[in-house]
Amino acid sequence: MHTTPATTYPGTIGAADAAAPSRDLAVPETQSTIYAWMLTTAALFVILALLGVYMRLVQGGALAGLESWFYPMMTLHGIGMAGLWFVASMACACEALRKHVLASSAVAVFALAGTVVGVVLLLVSVFMGRFAAGWYFLYPLPLQGEWPAWSAVTFLLALTVLGVTWLVWSLDILRAVAVKYSLSHALGWHYLRGETEPAVPPAVIIVTVSMIVNVVALVAAVVVLVLFYLELLTGRPSDALLMKNLTFLFGHTLVNLAMYLAIAVVYDALPDYAGRPWKANKIVAISWNSVLLIVLLAYFHHLYMDFVQPATVQYIGQIASYAASLPAAVVTIFGALLLVYHAPMRWTLASVLFFLGLMGWAIGGIGAVIDSTIVANVRLHNTLWVPAHFHTYMLAGFGIIVGHFYHCGRLQAQGRAERTGYHTVLVTLLVASACGFLAMFYVGGAYSVPRRYSVYPIELAHGATYALWAAVFASVFLLTTVLCLIEVVGSWRKGATGGAEAWVGKSAVAGSLRPSTPNAAIGTSAVSRVDQ
Amino acid sequence: MRYTHPNYCYTGRPGGTGLREILSRGLKFLLLVALLMWAGPAWAQEANREVEEGRALFDEKCVVCHTNGGGDHIGPDLAGVVDRRSREWLARFITVPDQVLAEGDPLATELLKKYNGMPMPNLGLSSDDAEDIIQYLAAPPAAAGAAAPPAAREVQPAPEMLFAQSMILYIFLGITLVIVVVFGIVGLSTYEQTDVDVSKAFQLRRVLFTIGLILVASVAIATLPQAPYAKEGTKADRIIYVAARQYEFVFSEEPIVTVEDISRSRRITSLELFGGELVEFRVTSLDVTHGFGIYGPERQLLAQTQAMPGYVNRLLVRMERTGPFLVLCLEYCAGGHHLMEAHFTVDDEEPVASHSTQAPLIAR
Ligand code: HEM
Repeated sequence: MHTTPATTYPGTIGAADAAAPSRDLAVPETQSTIYAWMLTTAALFVILALLGVYMRLVQGGALAGLESWFYPMMTLHGIGMAGLWFVASMACACEALRKHVLASSAVAVFALAGTVVGVVLLLVSVFMGRFAAGWYFLYPLPLQGEWPAWSAVTFLLALTVLGVTWLVWSLDILRAVAVKYSLSHALGWHYLRGETEPAVPPAVIIVTVSMIVNVVALVAAVVVLVLFYLELLTGRPSDALLMKNLTFLFGHTLVNLAMYLAIAVVYDALPDYAGRPWKANKIVAISWNSVLLIVLLAYFHHLYMDFVQPATVQYIGQIASYAASLPAAVVTIFGALLLVYHAPMRWTLASVLFFLGLMGWAIGGIGAVIDSTIVANVRLHNTLWVPAHFHTYMLAGFGIIVGHFYHCGRLQAQGRAERTGYHTVLVTLLVASACGFLAMFYVGGAYSVPRRYSVYPIELAHGATYALWAAVFASVFLLTTVLCLIEVVGSWRKGATGGAEAWVGKSAVAGSLRPSTPNAAIGTSAVSRVDQ
Repeated sequence: MRYTHPNYCYTGRPGGTGLREILSRGLKFLLLVALLMWAGPAWAQEANREVEEGRALFDEKCVVCHTNGGGDHIGPDLAGVVDRRSREWLARFITVPDQVLAEGDPLATELLKKYNGMPMPNLGLSSDDAEDIIQYLAAPPAAAGAAAPPAAREVQPAPEMLFAQSMILYIFLGITLVIVVVFGIVGLSTYEQTDVDVSKAFQLRRVLFTIGLILVASVAIATLPQAPYAKEGTKADRIIYVAARQYEFVFSEEPIVTVEDISRSRRITSLELFGGELVEFRVTSLDVTHGFGIYGPERQLLAQTQAMPGYVNRLLVRMERTGPFLVLCLEYCAGGHHLMEAHFTVDDEEPVASHSTQAPLIAR
């Protein structure tokens, strides 16, 4: 790649043009998978979020008579959202990588199909069997609830299908990376040695790290499932503490990776809007390589309240959780802020969602770091603080994914006008309602209101008030999300709406949330490099 | 501390009371009395045995979902059920509830609807077992040893937030504000486009990294020693054994490792502790993983640990506050999770020697 050394980030229009990173437009034939993912994600998200509203209404005491579905729906909402978020991030990351690395499209179709089969099994288990062991199905609960044994088996089968599918998918992505880069290049180790060539896009480094960790997480999941099956077949019980460790090694890691993949998407796409490059360097390489180690140790914070776990492991959990936050904050968040600072930024629905997504990630991350402090965890563990912090960054992650779908849509359908004013209204509503919805979780958590209670005990009756308000905010959020998704799906309609102005370079159209500046055209080629 | 043993406080033996009174009425009844003295206790003993076994079975298998006089739980309160239903129906429903329901029995169907669609599981009880349980349910309440209904609990407004909890919330809100302001400034900076000196930015990053590292390290150093894990050699003033199971907590003077231990051990039905005491809860579970969360009089969490099958977690708590305490299950454990709770009180009286107001809530 041709590079022009530079010590400044350009802020002027001309400079932006000169510095816009090189991109080849997406190769048409895989559009169908990303398009299918987009439609699946949109539909499932709306349904699963509706279940969330239902849960808050039940907790608020507004749905007398419908409480008995709370725990099955909680299970479906949890596993559905966590899984959906993961696959949507995977799909977006693959799409973002396509410029550099081509994963197999057969495997992509297989991943979609496997996911659909897994979801169907999940639906059968929850709706017909009222399976309700929660999304992380903590051993031995699936075998000892009020649901029939077959529904537990169906649930475990669903997870097996999903686990195997995603394992194959992850391995294929690693294979595709290996076709183009050596492992040490893909992990950016040459940057650690002070070399700058070959230039490896940060997204490739992040995805490689994530996929390696992902394989570890999915293998842990497979071990958990095998131990469950063994017990079903032989009646030999497993060790509950071991199972819990394995469960969170898998559950915690998977959810973290979904966020990292979304971040890879931002690394890839945000530069287009900022008109500046965001390149890998030594610091980026160090940061993401340390993640590789740290993320696997951080899950211990889920077991702080298991006092039989060796104390050393508990302390490692807190230190690793803290350590995971530093590279994220100082390298990724800082890098993103630097990219945008005084940049010739083109604010569109996509870039605004990326930016807000990063902010949500940072805020949810603070909630998580506080909770991963052992003394604080005593007061917060399994209170509403937990859903508070993970909904913050999961909503943020979904923001990034929706932004990316929109981004891809715009790439396909250049020539349509941005509906800037309307988008401003949507984004404002989204942020306001999300804040209200999340604040109710945080306040409930600070007041020790337990999570996963369909009805609150009378001593904590104020929890019901927070739940009702949360239901109101969540409904507004959901409605706005639907409107956003309509915009996103609309953005894919190629060349629709006659009389559309050219998207690229037209400030009045593309400019958007701020007065006006023409912006970097996608597809221009010169690249500047920022060295340490 | 006071406790009652439900298994030993049984007093209502039919025919066993007022014997002396009857004797004093005169010789006229002597023969009758003699008869009673011979037959009465024998009959009473048999009935007593059935009731006792029924109670043990009820405590073992049924209390998870039912009470006997304590109000509806996951299933209905069973006090007086023998007057409401025929014994035959009861015997069948207790032994094979799944079959009764599958046959479309109207009563069973109605109950299923009323209790949130949660069917009563087949517990594998024999018809003798069912008979014992019915005997127990038919015995007068005193005989049944039903606990007094809990004092009426009223809805109260949200309490004032405890110091620890509000610290947590304010630290979070403070940092969130900083994040929002920084993102706001950076977002707004794009109105004015200028070149940015990257090397200066990287210098700033180095400074931020150093500050972050120092901050994180000092928070870790300050908080890690306060972790709630019991140190070797810590001696508590009282040890309470806690066995959790779907959906109740059983307090006991002795370890409970199996379900059968519950009726054998010295169970504590109403736990009272004293202010200043260092109490060690030895918490385990008899089925799935539960949580043992202690809520103080301010109705907020003071301490917690998990109740995991096969393991005993030692939770040390210095009882600094007095008043009613609430224990909630803090690990989701299926349909009755939100109903799983226990209560105890901490009284002022009899401050123990080790009392110290300076002592931390959680013993080191
Ligand atoms: C409008 C949007 C949403 C609403 C109203 C909502 C609501 C809820 C509620 C009420 C709970 C149960 C809280 C409790 O434990 O008491 C919950 C749990 C959960 N939610 Fe959401 N949620 C929403 C979006 C999301 C998103 C976007 C994700 C993930 C990407 C997500 C993932 C989860 C997970 C993993 C759980 C835990 C389930 C469990 O404890 O088993 N939710 N949500």
